[in-house]
Amino acid sequence: MKLLFYLFLVVALLVGLIVMAALLTGLAAIVHLLLPVAKVPLRYNLRNLQVRWKTTAITALAFTVVIFLLTWMLAFVQGMNHLVKNSGHPGNIIVLAAGSNDETYSNLPASVDVRLLPKNVQEMVLKDGDNFWAVREVYVVVNQEFIHPKTKELDRRFVQMRGVDDVKMAARLHGLELQPGGQWFSGKTYEVVLGASVAKKFGADLGKDAVEPGDEVQLGSRKWRVSGVMKASGSTFANEVWARDIHVQESFGRKTETGPSYSSYVVRIKDPSLADKASDLVDQERTTEAITAMTEKKYYENLSQTNLQFMVAAIIVAIMMSIGGVLSVMNTMFAAISQRSKDIAVLRLLGYGRWQILASFLMESLVIALVGGLLGLALGSLLNGLTATSVVASGTGGGKSIVFALVVDQLVVFAGLALIVVMGLVGGLIPSLSAMRLRPLESLR
Amino acid sequence: MTELFTNPLLLLCAVIAFVPLLAGIVLIALFPKLFLLVVKNLRRNLLRTVLTTVAIMFLVFMVTVILTVVYTLDLFTTEKSKDFKLIVMERWQLPSQMPPTHAKYLDPDPKNSQFLLDRKDVTPNDFMSWSFYAGSTEPDPKKRNLNNLAFFFVMNPHHIRPMMDDLGDLDPKLVEALVQTRRGCLMGRERMEALDKKVGERFSVYGLNYKDIDLEFEIVGQLPEGRYNKNAIMNEDYFTQAMNKYALKNNGKKHPLDMKRLNLIWLRVPDDATYKRVAAKVESASVFADLPVKCETASSASSRFLEPFRDLLRIMKWLVVAILISMSLVVANAISISVRERQTEMAVLKVVGYQPRQILAMVLGESMLVGGTSGLLASTLTFWLFNSIGGIPFPLLWFAFFVPWHALIWGLAIGFGTSLLGSILPAWSARSVKVSEVFAKVA
Repeated sequence: MKLLFYLFLVVALLVGLIVMAALLTGLAAIVHLLLPVAKVPLRYNLRNLQVRWKTTAITALAFTVVIFLLTWMLAFVQGMNHLVKNSGHPGNIIVLAAGSNDETYSNLPASVDVRLLPKNVQEMVLKDGDNFWAVREVYVVVNQEFIHPKTKELDRRFVQMRGVDDVKMAARLHGLELQPGGQWFSGKTYEVVLGASVAKKFGADLGKDAVEPGDEVQLGSRKWRVSGVMKASGSTFANEVWARDIHVQESFGRKTETGPSYSSYVVRIKDPSLADKASDLVDQERTTEAITAMTEKKYYENLSQTNLQFMVAAIIVAIMMSIGGVLSVMNTMFAAISQRSKDIAVLRLLGYGRWQILASFLMESLVIALVGGLLGLALGSLLNGLTATSVVASGTGGGKSIVFALVVDQLVVFAGLALIVVMGLVGGLIPSLSAMRLRPLESLR
Repeated sequence: MTELFTNPLLLLCAVIAFVPLLAGIVLIALFPKLFLLVVKNLRRNLLRTVLTTVAIMFLVFMVTVILTVVYTLDLFTTEKSKDFKLIVMERWQLPSQMPPTHAKYLDPDPKNSQFLLDRKDVTPNDFMSWSFYAGSTEPDPKKRNLNNLAFFFVMNPHHIRPMMDDLGDLDPKLVEALVQTRRGCLMGRERMEALDKKVGERFSVYGLNYKDIDLEFEIVGQLPEGRYNKNAIMNEDYFTQAMNKYALKNNGKKHPLDMKRLNLIWLRVPDDATYKRVAAKVESASVFADLPVKCETASSASSRFLEPFRDLLRIMKWLVVAILISMSLVVANAISISVRERQTEMAVLKVVGYQPRQILAMVLGESMLVGGTSGLLASTLTFWLFNSIGGIPFPLLWFAFFVPWHALIWGLAIGFGTSLLGSILPAWSARSVKVSEVFAKVA
C-alpha cells in the first residue's frame, strides 16, 4: 500500500513537472509571440492545419469529447454546490440530539424548547412580541407507494417529509413562500405543502405538470390534501413535503411509549454574526437534555461531503481522459514534425530562431486544442439549467435526495479553458522541443 | 464462468475479445511473414506505438473502473429467477424500525412455534435479521469523526454463513468465537486500521444511534477482505442484554428505541412463485397490523435505494461511451498518420505482389495488436491494483467495488473493438492505394 502511494506520488510529481514546464514554455512562447520583433511563422502553421484537416479534425474531436464531459461533470457538481449554498439562513441555528450530525438520526424529546437552551443563548434568540422565532421539526423519509404512470404497476419511492409545529413560523425561518393559489395548512386535518420539485414529481403520477392545491397525495396509509406548493427556492426544501408535526409523528413511527419525538429545533439568532457563538455556547454549556447545535449554514456545508467526493471523482476522470487527449495531440504533432522536417530546416536557414520554431509548433498544438475544446465547452454549456437528481450527505449516514439544476458558471468555463490550454501545451511541448532541436543541414540531406 | 453464458453483455465482450484473437492466431500461422511485417512496422515508429499504447491504457483503465461500479450496482438490482433474497421492512418509512417481535414470526427455527410461513418455503438456512448499531470509540461527542466511528450488523452469528453475501466461506471457528464470546465482534480490515485495533483487542463504543447504549467489545476475528472491510458484525444476544440492562438501570423503563430496534429481515426463497406466496402472507398478516411491513425482492429494494443516483449512473454510462469514442479517435489518428506516411511503401508492396486484402489485414493487424495488448495490460493492471488495495472506494455506499475477473475480457474486447473501429477507414484507404498515382507523385 505504501509502495503504491509512493509510486503514485512520484508519477504525480513527474506529471506535475511536465505540466509546469509546458505552462512556462507556453507562457514564454506567447510572450515571445507578442514581442514586436517576433517573426513566428504562424500563417505557415495555420495553413498546415488546414492542409492536414483530417488529422486536425480527429485530434480536435478528441478534445471536444473530453471537454464536453468535463463540463457535464463539473456542472453536476456545481449544481449540487449551489443547492447546498442556497440552503440555510445565516442567522439560524439547528439544535440536534447530542452525537447526531444529521436530522435523520436525531431524536429530541417533545419538551425541546427555547428554555432548554443556555440562558445567554435564550437572550440571543429573535422575538416577535412574546413569540420566539423558533420551530420544532420532525424529519422522516417516507416509503411512498404509487402507480407508475408508464407501467401502471405498483411502484415505490422515497419521499422526504418534514413535520413542523408552526408552519408559518417555519416558513419565515427558512425564507419560503407559497405559489399563488395555495395556503399554509391549518394543521387540523391531514394536509401537506409540497416543495416545487416534489410537486412536479407527484404531478407526473397524475399526468399533470405539477400537483396543485386541492389535489390529494397518498403518503403512508392515508391520503393527504395538498394545501399549497412552495415557490422554487433553489434549496433542499424544494424536495420536501411539509405537514403538521403531530400528523407526521403518528403516521411515521415518531410517537413512542415515551412520547412524540422531534429531529431538530431551529431558532433564529437576532444578530446573524452571533449565530456561530450561539451554537458554540449550546455545545459548551450544560443543558438538561443532551443536545448539540450548529449554524444552519454549517449543517448544509457538512452535507456537501458528497459534492466533494463527486468533484474528486470528476477531476480524476478528467485527468485520465486528458492524458488520452494529450497523447493523441502528441502523436499528431510528432507526425506533423516528422513530415515537415525539411520545412523546419528551410525556416531555420531563412533565419528563424529555435525559440520561434518552438513557439510556432506550440501554438499549432494549442490551436488544435482550442478548436476542439471550445466546441466541447460550447456544447457543454447547453446543459446549463437541465435538472438532475442526486444525494447530498455528510458521509456519516443520512443524507437527502435532491433534484437540482446543472450549473455551467464562470468556474466551470474557467476550468474547461484551463484544461484546454494545459492539454494543448503539454501535448505540444515535447514534439515542439524536438522540432526546435532539428539540425537544418541534416534535415535537408 | 457460467456468467459468461448468462450475461449477454459479457458474452458480446467475449466474442469481440476472442474472435479477433483466434483470427489473429490463425492469420499468424498462415501468413507469418505478414505478422513479422506488422511487428516491424510497429517497431519502426516506436514513439508513436508507445504513445498510442499509453493513451489506450489510460482510457481502458478508466473504462474498467467505471464498468466495475456499474456492473456491481447492476448485480444488486438485477432480478434473479432462482434462489433470491427478500427483504421485509417497515412499510411506510425509512429507516425501517420494527419491534424485535416481528422477527419471531418469520424465523423458521424448528423450535419457533410462532412461525407464520410454510416451512417448505423458508428453511432455517433462509432467514436472517439485522439491527444496526453505530457508535464511536471517542467518548467526547465533539471529537467524533469518521475515523473513530464503528458500524455493526447486529445479528445471530449462525446466520452469517448461510445468508450474508460473500461470507459463505467464513471460517466456522470465527462464527463459533462470536457465539462463545459475549462481547465479541468480527471486524473488517479497514475499520480495524482506522480504529488502530487488532484481533484480540478490547475497546469501548459509545452509542450514536442508540443513546446511552455504550458497549464493550473484543475483536474475535477479521472479516474476509472485501465488501465488509469497513464494517463489523456483533452478536444480537449481547445487544438484547444491553437493552435489558438499560431497563433495569432505569426502573424498568425500556430504552425509547427498544421496540424499534429491528431494522431488516431477510428471507431466501427458491423461486418467484414462492416469493409471491411469502410476500402475500407477510403483507397481510394480522400480527403485523400495528406496524405494517412490506416484503420485496432485495434487487427491487436496492433499485429504489439507488434511484437518487440514477443521473450519476447515467453520466457514468455516457462516460464509458465517450471514452470509447476518444479511444477510437486516438487509434484512428495514429493509424491514419501512419498510413499517410507509408503510401509509397504500400504501393511498393502491391507491386511486389501483396493483395489489397493483405494490406488491409496488415494495417488492421497493427492497430489491433496495439489495441488488444494495451487493453489487456490496462485491465490486468486495474484488476491487480484495486483488488490489492481493497477495491475501488465509493464512500457514499459504505462499501468498495472489487474489479471482477471478467474485466480482463472487457479490456481485451475494448482494445480490439475500438482499434478496429478506429482503423477501418485508414486501413481501407491503405488497401485502395493506387500504385500509378503514388509513383506519379514520387516521380
